[in-house]
Amino acid sequence: MTVGRALAQLVIVCRKELRDSFRDRRALGSIVFSVLIGPILIAFMMNRLVDQQRDADTLRVPVVGAANAPALVEWLAHQDGVDVVDGPADVEQAVREQREALVLIVPDDFARHFRDSEPAPLQLVSDGSRNDVRPVVQRVRALLQQYSGEIASLRLIVRGVSPAAVQPLALQEIEVSTAQQRAAQILGFIPMFIMVAGFVAGMQIATDSTAGERERGSLEPLLVNPAPRGAIVAGKWLAASLAAFLGVVLTTLLCAQMPRVLPLEDMGIRLDLDAPSIGNILLIGLPFCLFSASLQTTVATLARSFKEAQSYMGVLILLPMVPGIMGALYPLGSAAWMYAVPMLGPYVLLTGVIGGGVPDIGALLAMAGTSLTAAAVLVHVTTRLFRSEHVIFGR
Amino acid sequence: MIRVDDLRKRFGQVTAVDGVGFLAADGAITGLLGPNGAGKTTTLRMLYGVMRPDEGRIHVDELDAVQHPQPAQARLGVLPDGFGLYPRLTAREHIEYFGALHGLRSAAIARRAEELFELLDMRAIADRRTAGFSHGERTKVALARALVHSPQNVLLDEPTNGLDVMSTRAVRSIVRRLRDEGRCVLFSSHVMQEVSALCDAIVVIAAGRVVAQGSPDDLRRQTGRDSLEDAFVRLTDLGRGGR
Repeated sequence: MTVGRALAQLVIVCRKELRDSFRDRRALGSIVFSVLIGPILIAFMMNRLVDQQRDADTLRVPVVGAANAPALVEWLAHQDGVDVVDGPADVEQAVREQREALVLIVPDDFARHFRDSEPAPLQLVSDGSRNDVRPVVQRVRALLQQYSGEIASLRLIVRGVSPAAVQPLALQEIEVSTAQQRAAQILGFIPMFIMVAGFVAGMQIATDSTAGERERGSLEPLLVNPAPRGAIVAGKWLAASLAAFLGVVLTTLLCAQMPRVLPLEDMGIRLDLDAPSIGNILLIGLPFCLFSASLQTTVATLARSFKEAQSYMGVLILLPMVPGIMGALYPLGSAAWMYAVPMLGPYVLLTGVIGGGVPDIGALLAMAGTSLTAAAVLVHVTTRLFRSEHVIFGR
Repeated sequence: MIRVDDLRKRFGQVTAVDGVGFLAADGAITGLLGPNGAGKTTTLRMLYGVMRPDEGRIHVDELDAVQHPQPAQARLGVLPDGFGLYPRLTAREHIEYFGALHGLRSAAIARRAEELFELLDMRAIADRRTAGFSHGERTKVALARALVHSPQNVLLDEPTNGLDVMSTRAVRSIVRRLRDEGRCVLFSSHVMQEVSALCDAIVVIAAGRVVAQGSPDDLRRQTGRDSLEDAFVRLTDLGRGGR
């Protein structure tokens, strides 16, 4: 049996598995779902972020006892994006029930203290346990301090003292946790979604063509054909890899469309997936797909039933998610050894490309080298399994 | 032609096949007869290369099937025990898949498919997906894909099991036709009547051993029983070590 004949048989098996699986509506559904879920989640999170920022832009300040400090209230109302409204009657209740993020109370004796140049009391009611309103409270506090500072300066000038004399420190606050950064964090999930889409898209063929084939009883007739087991296994593996790659391609193309649909520019985010970047993503995605499909076919072949294979897949899918989740929690950086770890290498490289970088050739080769070697080993293991009577007959 | 010598296969403590040997000639229907669990399926699985014998030799048209399973498989058409189909592929696509794996060109496969549809009277189901096929229809598809490369040797593992009368007749007429074309047909069965009606030679297997072989008349003479069924029961008992 020549190598050419075996290669032809590999292609025949691969083509049959692809055709078979593309007629499986449920399999197609899961591919479509896996491809869409990432971009949809990202779009959803982005839109929420934009909404939140818009909310933060117009600052709603409910004031109780506005008549006690008309000048202050008028000053507040004149600030950019501040909307002064009448405060509720039950102040603490309203804040506790989250009807209001905060309420400013101007007590009756405010005017008297203010006139006498004594510290005039003001009460800012808020719920310290609510993370989401903290920036709003912060902004109101900053505004009040600014007002306080302006009045203090005026009073000093009236008394012939330079305001600078009472400002020993000139503190400038620079906020780094901006909405922009949060948007960048959200985009940081793109590599994970690309990998998960690839993983899920290959899963159906990997399980159906191995554990499923045996369970249907079609494995024995297939193995009666004069084809080397290696060609049959490699054909199934290649089919699963191509389906996985299709998932990667579609997700990447969808993500490349996101700047057109999402207000990324408004958030100050650059996501420019031009043709070379897409090419790089696919270049990184291909070894990943070949590896993950080989892992899936091996595990599914080891499973005693189709159901068991499917439940193994449910656990395996965590593998491409681990680097993504780790990356979201702690910055992973990019140490050299990471490229050589099959699931981690592609993630680190993809993160670089999404961030607008060009992958290092050495890193790319290290990633492809280890992924392809691991895939070759796993395909070899699966071929051996396909020679085992225990595996063929499910004993 | 298939020649089997002293074939042995153990599964753990159980000896499934214990020194089976026989010859299935070209232009003849050879029946592998035995009760359930006698070792028929295991013997056939070793012949068609999905199980390796622990000992013994198998020759398919003078090719050593143990040493070189693939060239031997190329000369075999097999209907395995409990064949499975792909529910999302049509009958024609099953034939095309196996034909291609045998290295046939697509034009040759298309021509052969038409012949087989005619022969097996399955033109009506040729381009339907096999999901929902009756047992008879499924058997026809499995037979057609086994015969796509016009194999010289045909192995059928209980082909008529569970078939209705019409389908059984269709299978029998195919088997005879293959024999008349000069092919070697080896089929297993546990049904006495079927084997006696169809076979030119019978190999009776019990408990992994060949307990008798010959023509139906030979078997009757050997056991001294008038009816073949009595002969079969007697032989089976002998194989199990009964008296």
